[in-house]
Amino acid sequence: MYSDLVHALPNVLDFSNFAAVVIGVIAGIVVGAMPGLSATMAISVLVPFTFGLEPLVALGLMAGIYNGAMYGGAIPAVLLRIPGTPAAVATTFDGYPMAQKGEGGYALQVAVVSSAIGGIASAIALMLLAPPLSKVTLLFGPSEVFWVAVFGLASIIFLLGNNVIKGLISACFGVFVSVIGSDPIYGNDRFTFGQLELLDGISIVILLVGLYALPPVIDLLEVPLKTDGVSGSKLGTEPIWRTLPRMGRFWKTWIRSSLIGVWIGILPGAGGSMAAFMSYNEARRTSKTPETWGNGEPEGVAASETANNADTASALIPALTLGIPGTAVAAVMLGGLLIHGLQPGPMLFRENPDIVFGFMWQFLFGAILLIFLGGSLATNSFARLLNLPRPLLGSVIIVLMLIGVYSIHGRMFDVYLMLGFGAIGYIMDKLKFPLPPVVLGLILGGFAEENLRLALRIGRGDWSILFANKTSLLLVALTVSVIVGPIIKRHLASKKDDAKRAGR
Amino acid sequence: MSVSRISRPETLTAIGIIVVAGVFMIPAVELRPISALLPIAMLAGLIVLSLVLLISDQRKASAGEPAEAMTKSPRRVAGAFLLIVAYAVATDFIGFYVSTAIAIPLVAYVFGFRNPIGLAVATVIALGTIYLIFDFGMSQEFPAGRLGLR
Repeated sequence: MYSDLVHALPNVLDFSNFAAVVIGVIAGIVVGAMPGLSATMAISVLVPFTFGLEPLVALGLMAGIYNGAMYGGAIPAVLLRIPGTPAAVATTFDGYPMAQKGEGGYALQVAVVSSAIGGIASAIALMLLAPPLSKVTLLFGPSEVFWVAVFGLASIIFLLGNNVIKGLISACFGVFVSVIGSDPIYGNDRFTFGQLELLDGISIVILLVGLYALPPVIDLLEVPLKTDGVSGSKLGTEPIWRTLPRMGRFWKTWIRSSLIGVWIGILPGAGGSMAAFMSYNEARRTSKTPETWGNGEPEGVAASETANNADTASALIPALTLGIPGTAVAAVMLGGLLIHGLQPGPMLFRENPDIVFGFMWQFLFGAILLIFLGGSLATNSFARLLNLPRPLLGSVIIVLMLIGVYSIHGRMFDVYLMLGFGAIGYIMDKLKFPLPPVVLGLILGGFAEENLRLALRIGRGDWSILFANKTSLLLVALTVSVIVGPIIKRHLASKKDDAKRAGR
Repeated sequence: MSVSRISRPETLTAIGIIVVAGVFMIPAVELRPISALLPIAMLAGLIVLSLVLLISDQRKASAGEPAEAMTKSPRRVAGAFLLIVAYAVATDFIGFYVSTAIAIPLVAYVFGFRNPIGLAVATVIALGTIYLIFDFGMSQEFPAGRLGLR
């Protein structure tokens, strides 16, 4: 099973494939460092440009960006107390006080080393866990695949976000978008309204760019962030090799936070910020000097940065094996895989072992490269990037979005469609409708429908075929537990609160 | 009072979803039953869930809970969106390079970056990089414009 992993290595070390990871990491750090831009947005904008590239070059760029952006978010978090990405919020707690004390450079070095360690742990988890899990899915027939899709949607709706109704609306919207185009079995048009451009359905890339790239651009233009700039004195940088011995005491935190990050990454619906907060709290709870936390404790930076990078590759474990992404970025990356004709699931591992295992190696190399690239980029000159005029940045991103979407099929229709999704995405974002269920709905909707109809054909129209075997029943039970679990948890928590109040 | 209750963003969104889903129901019911299964289920789901959202938002309004503002600066948001749409339409009609050469400095200027040298340099760098990477390097086609300019 793991021999394919070894065979994929030489391909990854090919110049263009390796260079893609290097470029991706650098681009990711730059994007992550810009408050308002995220890995999700960067990968959404990038995905259309990867059409003409070799799959491993495209995937290497994505893996690099993901790794780089998760660390890049720490740079403004430490220097300006503005998290570059949502996952870097916990890094501000101790990173900024360190910068105020003139230890900004050390804080960034702790962040980069911890990010690399988290990323390496995550890549190893992906390498070890994904292949055996993919074998399990070989046992699945159409009804099981249908339930996997339902489980995926249910978990992202009920575990992500606080408002189930909004999550369900998002998912219904995504699934509805997936049915636009020709019927998969009869070939009749559905909701195309005579537009030939819609016959093949709506490309996931158009939806991704609209939903994930346009709202942040409008935010950039709406409130241009004004910073005081970054002065060199905040960094106090010294060579990373000199500071490494001082970090040795974080080893327990690195292990604990890696485990937390990997676990949170695997869980559908959770994400980097949850991993970072959990890890920070846990590290603080077990610390011998909890009173120093929040006042510039480097271990706090280590805890949050290890965890937010440890959830990167692990979020792809359910995505690659079952088609259920663990995070929003993983959902976008899943879209990237699909446009290269790589359908997640067991066949991916059987038919394209070089690519899928190569992708895992790229995650590992991306994490290792962070130490070299992130360490050398965390300098005074790089920190000045934060002073780039944001309206200018916004206008350049708009141009890139247009080029990317236009390049998919060479038609302006897709650009207008993307703008439509962008407007919907902006409203959803502002009203706190979760976006990942839309993406997952589009990915899994067609998949679920095809397998449901196939199962019904096998069962000659008898719906009981969906509950005919143990695997299906297990998946139904898992789906029910994902739906009922949070309700019971909330009920128990409110009971506990009532009991506390009564006891006062 | 009734005007402000109806104009709450969540209420308006819920009404919008119900109307649009209702409109899509018309072609959906004309499809073969098996072909219509998923679309009708989703549209019905959207209508029911939006009704729930609407009722819960109106309950909040009755309880005196203020609606959260969607944007800090609606004018800037509308302006940004209109400029982006105008840029897409301009690209469609007058071609990519001309409209981009106008759009980059215009958007940046309107939204607060007013340094003329900076604007000129940024536009030249952006256009030059796009030309070198995408047009020259990747032989990518750009919209030539229906009016024949490029």
